[in-house]
Amino acid sequence: MRVDFVKAVDAVLAEDARALFITGDLGFNALEGVAAKYGKRFINAGVAEQSMMGLASGTALTGMRPWVYSIAPFATYRCLEQIRNDACLHNLPVRIAGNGGGYTYGIMGSTHHALEDLAVLKVLPNMQLFFPCANDHVAAAVALMAQLAGPSYIRLAVSAFNTERAVVAEHPSTLTRVYAQRHDRGKPGVTVIGAGHGVQIALRALSAHGLDRENVDVFGVARFPFRLHEDSALLGSVQETKNVVFVEEHYAAGGMGESMKLALPPLQSFVLMSASYTPEQRYGSAAFHMQQSNLTPEALMAAVRANLARP
Amino acid sequence: MTKDALLATLPREALAIRRKFLGMHFEARAGHLGSGLSDIDLLTYLYGAWLRPSDHFILSKGHGASSLYATLHHFQRLTDLELASYYKDDTLLPAHPAPNGVSAIPAATGSLGHGLPIATGMAYSFKNLHQTDARLACLLSDGECNEGSTWEAALFAGHHKLDNLTVVIDANGIQGFGRTEEVLTLEPFAKKWEAFGFAVSECNGHDFPAIHQVLSQPPNGRPRCLIARTVKGKGVKFMEDKVEWHYWPMTEAHYRDALTELDQAESELSR
Repeated sequence: MRVDFVKAVDAVLAEDARALFITGDLGFNALEGVAAKYGKRFINAGVAEQSMMGLASGTALTGMRPWVYSIAPFATYRCLEQIRNDACLHNLPVRIAGNGGGYTYGIMGSTHHALEDLAVLKVLPNMQLFFPCANDHVAAAVALMAQLAGPSYIRLAVSAFNTERAVVAEHPSTLTRVYAQRHDRGKPGVTVIGAGHGVQIALRALSAHGLDRENVDVFGVARFPFRLHEDSALLGSVQETKNVVFVEEHYAAGGMGESMKLALPPLQSFVLMSASYTPEQRYGSAAFHMQQSNLTPEALMAAVRANLARP
Repeated sequence: MTKDALLATLPREALAIRRKFLGMHFEARAGHLGSGLSDIDLLTYLYGAWLRPSDHFILSKGHGASSLYATLHHFQRLTDLELASYYKDDTLLPAHPAPNGVSAIPAATGSLGHGLPIATGMAYSFKNLHQTDARLACLLSDGECNEGSTWEAALFAGHHKLDNLTVVIDANGIQGFGRTEEVLTLEPFAKKWEAFGFAVSECNGHDFPAIHQVLSQPPNGRPRCLIARTVKGKGVKFMEDKVEWHYWPMTEAHYRDALTELDQAESELSR
């Protein structure tokens, strides 16, 4: 998603003279072009995320619209108070990009994982979150962020289960994607919802584990606060199936699943698949961590089938 | 008015602001008296003689808000009605500056270490992106220089040679729970700021000609830092240089005694 993000932001900077790019000393092999092209509108703030977020807000107070980039945990936790006080409380158009959502940085270790980023940001006033489902979903999110007068965050990630899959439909403002539809709406079915790149688990299950033969709708949500009143396809599906399997590469506490469960009408069942932590945690690739959390296409299949098999 | 004549008026302006400030605090039964009295002379100089209409001021030491409110009101930047709401329910003037509250205060502060990064971003933006001659003044407390984010921003300002940025430090030597030199030593303070790329000066932060001598210098390609040596509680003897007057509100007797001191100071000025 990083390549798609840089391309999309490049387009924003080219069009909007008030936009600027600030990085926390990251972007090797990715941001050189933007750095060369935009002169003083490109800032390397150094390895100093708190000051970076404060000075981004300072530029916004003068009418600028900064994009602030770092690895997801560094762009969020280290400078959370600056995001809250300086950007959110003043409702400034500070656009934060966190690269490496979830377990993307796998073997880099827990300091580099971002499994609470959406949780800590979703509670902040005026903050809007974007979490694209796939690389070709990033440009639309960036375009929406570029129109916002207030703060926003985009979670860039790579799924261990990345799968090419045609999109059936994409909502222009909620960005919610439909990836699969039930074969028979008269029969019991399940609504599978993936948050951001978490939906890739479902896409892998569709293409390689037989999920496409089950009576399921598969949605990818990509924006918080949810705008369910606009998402009639998603809401209609849930009202009909009354069974949801929600999957996210994020801890359950504070995650999108928790919020979705509260936002949906009463259901028969809501199964939440999310990242888990144990003090004995060991480290490996993103795929390893997904296995450890039971965040796999196989586990998703089992959850869907158990749901459909219920009397 | 010549600069000398203007400087001559500032002690009287500062006294009027102290009087207003004490009245606000007495009525509100609010603390943070020592911090406000410490910086009122600096604020008086900045608003009375230094800030032009295109310039901006960030109060990084947000706990000095009431002294800023009193100063803004004195210089007609806050209305009577606004000032009368200080510290009351439904106000836009709480004990630390509010976001989106009054137009004269661009940024909410109160958590220390936020103001300098914001001011630095504004200074960078005005100089390099808007290409205006707007200047930024940012008032810090010395205790606030414990915060890493202050030094992160100092690195940035030095690196980018933001000569439109002036940092003023209200160095009263006292912080939340002790003297700065006992809590986390800052000295050699001036050398630290110099090492970060600032043109540094020190002076008595209650001496208007001395403050003016430093802050009227033309920019010289570096951000500027004035370490203003101040006395916490300045102007009210029983509050001066006392940690407890960071916290205590005044009793009626305290208030009466404080006003008596201001009356004496005023009659000395008239002499």
